Amino acid sequence: MTISRPHSQFPWLKARFRSVADPWNHIGMQTKFYGRTLRYMHYGLIHYRVELIRIIAQMGLGAGALIIIGGTVAIVGFLTVTTGALVAVQGYSDFSELGVEALTGFVSAYFNVRLIAPATTAIALSATIGAGATAQLGAMRINEEIDALEVMGIRSIAFLASTRVIAGFLVVIPLYCVGVLMAFWAARFGTTVIYGQSTGVYDHYFRTFLNPTDLMWSFGQCIALAVVIMLVHTYYGFTARGGPAGVGEAVGRAVRTSLIVSAFVLVMLSLAVYGQSGNFNLAG
Amino acid sequence: MVASNVLAKPVRAFGGFYSMALDTFVGMFQPPFAWREFISQAWFVARVSIVPTLLLTIPYTVLLTFIETILLSEIGAADFSGTGAALGTVRQIGPIVTVLVVAGAGATAMCADLGARTIREELDALRVMGVNPIHALVVPRVLAATVVSLALSATVILVGLSGAYFFVVYIQNVSPGAFAAGLTLIIGATDVIIALVKAALFGLSAGLIACYKGISVRGGPAGVGNAVNETVVFTFMALFAINIVATAVAIQITL
Repeated sequence: MTISRPHSQFPWLKARFRSVADPWNHIGMQTKFYGRTLRYMHYGLIHYRVELIRIIAQMGLGAGALIIIGGTVAIVGFLTVTTGALVAVQGYSDFSELGVEALTGFVSAYFNVRLIAPATTAIALSATIGAGATAQLGAMRINEEIDALEVMGIRSIAFLASTRVIAGFLVVIPLYCVGVLMAFWAARFGTTVIYGQSTGVYDHYFRTFLNPTDLMWSFGQCIALAVVIMLVHTYYGFTARGGPAGVGEAVGRAVRTSLIVSAFVLVMLSLAVYGQSGNFNLAG
Repeated sequence: MVASNVLAKPVRAFGGFYSMALDTFVGMFQPPFAWREFISQAWFVARVSIVPTLLLTIPYTVLLTFIETILLSEIGAADFSGTGAALGTVRQIGPIVTVLVVAGAGATAMCADLGARTIREELDALRVMGVNPIHALVVPRVLAATVVSLALSATVILVGLSGAYFFVVYIQNVSPGAFAAGLTLIIGATDVIIALVKAALFGLSAGLIACYKGISVRGGPAGVGNAVNETVVFTFMALFAINIVATAVAIQITL
């Protein structure tokens, strides 16, 4: 059977145009979602306070099987312990080749604060609370619960997305503190206990080069990263489709996107904060 | 009874994971190898991973070389920024970015696919037809993840070093010859081989975790979402743990 349909004018040209316009429109839709999420934040804070507190509790502890291994805090702690220990292993061995292994404390104070703690926290956030939010929202979208919310007259973006962004903003504060302390502790433990450097040498260089301003900037970077990561993850959860497999795919796509976006945000913030000069003085 | 369940559940999950891993290793050497599935999976993982790899490598190497060059120019050794870039890219960023991408892009998609098949009872249907799902689905996926991570880590190192070159030479004004000359000062062939071995190990464990989580999904669409979430968390944790052990072993070998 042949189906007759009107002949399309310039089909090739239209297809080319669509292939350019569709991704562009997609970016526009995403931006619109982010704008609305941020704009409704005060609404979520005022009207959906109970939901907000519930989400904060859930994010801090984690959901499902994650509770058994200690929740989000334990995962962030674990990841930063391994990266902190990496500083000890890599820094100590590289510096002892040059005979300046005394400076391992400096590496911990410098790289942990500027690079490792924010990057690791971003990765951990996107894997734990971010992916969890996408999985939850995606399942709600597939089960048509989000449509049900809209029908009941609840502002779904404020109720689901804005509250999660606020919760991410609040949850990252203790998480970052745990993360950075664990990284410092693991680097110190590895260098002094396992490699046997004297604690006095380590602490001297560590304290000399630990810059409180840098630490505050790194904290600020983490908060910005948390907000960006939660925005990306709620968007992909909110727009999930295609059944059970679609939820899983949305989680994967969200993790991928948020890792890339958080890396770019981290670089841009670092360049903005430390600038060309680097805000760093070795000679004092 | 409740307490014993809480304790038994993670232990049982560990046991299930190890038994599946052993079955997979045995299945790799049993004759009818699912070539078609292996090639399509390898192509699939490579396709979803390549763009995120490039986009994730560039900012991380730029950040690392930026921070390192600040330090090096402070002690008057900006010419050695090539050494720093090679050190960071080959030893840490290469394997870690590979991990993040294979876990974040490849493993999640694998887990979502297998999980959807599990809750639609397709795996049970396979078993009824006398096809071993481990043999038909898990082995090719695990091998595909391993092979693709190996290939990706090489890409990451190349792209990372080129990105570092452009950043250091054109923005931080280090002379290009000094950068190129410094590259091989500390990092040699051994380090590159270790980086590749690390990446292969990461790919193997990411594939195993994704497949285990995928075939043990329970509870509808929300279950698949949670399984994918757990895959991400567990792969990241396993990979960071493997990284620290592999780095320590590698240092013992090279020194």
